[in-house]
Amino acid sequence: MNGPSATAQEDLWIVRGTWTTFPNEVPALRLENDSNWTGINAVIARAADTASSITIHNTDSLDHLCALTWGNQFNTLIEAGTAATIELPALPTGVHRFGLTDTIGERLGAFSMVQVGLTEITTNSSPIFHWNLGDWNTESIAQIDSGSYSGEGAQYIPDQFTINEQTYPATADDANGTVEVQLGDTCWIAIANHGLMDHVLHFHGFHVLIETSTHHPDRVGWSKDTVPIKRGEGITVRLVANLPGMYPVHNHNLIAVTNAGFYPGGMITHIHVQP
Amino acid sequence: MKTYFHLALFSALLCSTSAMAQQIPPQLFSGMEGYTFLPDGTAIPIWGYGWVADGYITLPGPLLSYEQGDDVQLNFTNPSPESHTIHLHGLDVDQANDGVPTTSFFVATGEETTYEFTADNPGTFLYHCHVTTTLHLTMGMYGMILVTRPDMTLFEAGPAYAQDVPLLFSDLAIETNLQPVASYPFHDIRPDVFMVNGASGDQLESSDHIVHFEPGQPLALRLGSMAYSRIQCYFPEELNAVCYMSDGRPLPAAFAPDSLHIYPGERFTVIIEPDADWDGYLPCEFWSLTDETLESTASIHIRDAALEVPKITLDQRIGFPNPAQHHIQWSGAEQLTISVFDARGNFVATERLEDGLLDVRNWPHGVYIATFPNGHATRFVVTD
Repeated sequence: MNGPSATAQEDLWIVRGTWTTFPNEVPALRLENDSNWTGINAVIARAADTASSITIHNTDSLDHLCALTWGNQFNTLIEAGTAATIELPALPTGVHRFGLTDTIGERLGAFSMVQVGLTEITTNSSPIFHWNLGDWNTESIAQIDSGSYSGEGAQYIPDQFTINEQTYPATADDANGTVEVQLGDTCWIAIANHGLMDHVLHFHGFHVLIETSTHHPDRVGWSKDTVPIKRGEGITVRLVANLPGMYPVHNHNLIAVTNAGFYPGGMITHIHVQP
Repeated sequence: MKTYFHLALFSALLCSTSAMAQQIPPQLFSGMEGYTFLPDGTAIPIWGYGWVADGYITLPGPLLSYEQGDDVQLNFTNPSPESHTIHLHGLDVDQANDGVPTTSFFVATGEETTYEFTADNPGTFLYHCHVTTTLHLTMGMYGMILVTRPDMTLFEAGPAYAQDVPLLFSDLAIETNLQPVASYPFHDIRPDVFMVNGASGDQLESSDHIVHFEPGQPLALRLGSMAYSRIQCYFPEELNAVCYMSDGRPLPAAFAPDSLHIYPGERFTVIIEPDADWDGYLPCEFWSLTDETLESTASIHIRDAALEVPKITLDQRIGFPNPAQHHIQWSGAEQLTISVFDARGNFVATERLEDGLLDVRNWPHGVYIATFPNGHATRFVVTD
């Protein structure tokens, strides 16, 4: 298992593939580091308060819109089979959502985060883990892609809940999601909620310090074991690994710790502190 | 079966008073054959925790109270047909005592264990079963933990207060509770009963759910949620509320909340010092996390303890026999629904009378007050 990774790359690729999740296979779109399908959205890093750009290559057969969900950012059209460069403004330190904003692009899951200034706030190259949170109604994903979607009716009923596009127990093999650290280490976790609902993560064994938040700036500096992440929110938390052992982190909205309704599953990962 | 039902009934009847009373030595047990009662008297099956010494489970489970610095040994036995655990939510205990079957251990039928931890941090915490968590919590296996300080301050150099007021929000999905074995899949659980300290609707107006204060004596509201919903509480100005803590830690800066959002598993500690003579409500809303619809509301009644309590008019109806050992029967009350309170005014049960008959077998001996739909009341005594 490799350590967590976010890079300052200049390019991302829109790649189409299939998301195999119990009990369904559904079409999916991802923002990848290259044109190869991994099924996991890439995370990019930028310095704080510094303008930059990124080029998006669209390998899909459909046109897509792409945007940073911060301030008054405009959608950029990326026609099928072409590339477009998006100018990123100088951003404050924190986690900002970035991805496709057209209905198919967003609901098929091409959304990730820009980690801004996080390497500057960490110490001694401490690891920065990341969790892209998602909730999905898999039946509607296929309908949206095929053009037969007619709305979800009065109630949204998600049946899959993901961390970095994976459900538990696959989350255990995710080097970006499973927090693997040594006793006494300090690490950071960048979290973005791309779903259609608020989520709330409970940390076993630890309190974390909220360091940045796009939607709850009033909570910066709070020490919490149960952290709400509102729909569309990006936050950064700091964790001091002062207790050896294996500890779950999971959504405490308990419908979200299931896969297609079966427990355990969904938004569960672990903190593993080596003695 | 009938005997068992009455035992369970008895359990639920005493829920509201016993939930806040800790036995010495503490020995918690888990059960899967209890009941809670909706405001209309409907009995809903629950699973939960109770004190071995009492012999019944409650909704929520008993309040666990410790002092900061205590080396806690929480004894737990599981006589129920399935495995259970106790997860000490927010106490940051070590892996062995974390109560998660896959990383710690579970307590199988007939087994017992002792969870050990040091109560390092004062604050508001929770506990719950972590076996098939979605189902076991929905069934009622949760409660609140308070870690307090002997000097009655919230934390070191923190504000002083006079009394703790635990307020645990939770919910029930009736279909799940009625048929837990057939309740898969879990992703579309939609609760339909929304509770504070196990009470909903009119039950929140019973004397043991009304929060009484004395002017100048601050109360620490211990707000926590085991619900599926986002709870939103609105603090009237007259409460002079200040939020000092969340999740068992002091906030960098206390603040006066107009409202608070409490997500599943979160806790807040809010000190209130209401205006003298105030008699009002802390309105709380339950919002669905999946589609942001308002599911229900609950109003917590807060009133100055010095305000006169409305007098009860005694009813001329005479129950027979009185004192009663097994049953008591009122003539002219054949199909009425009555509410029963104990001698201290604590709500005991809402019962629908058949042929005017109330079954009091397994009720503890004592004086009770039955109130009839016309607002009148009558006393009766249960003997051994």
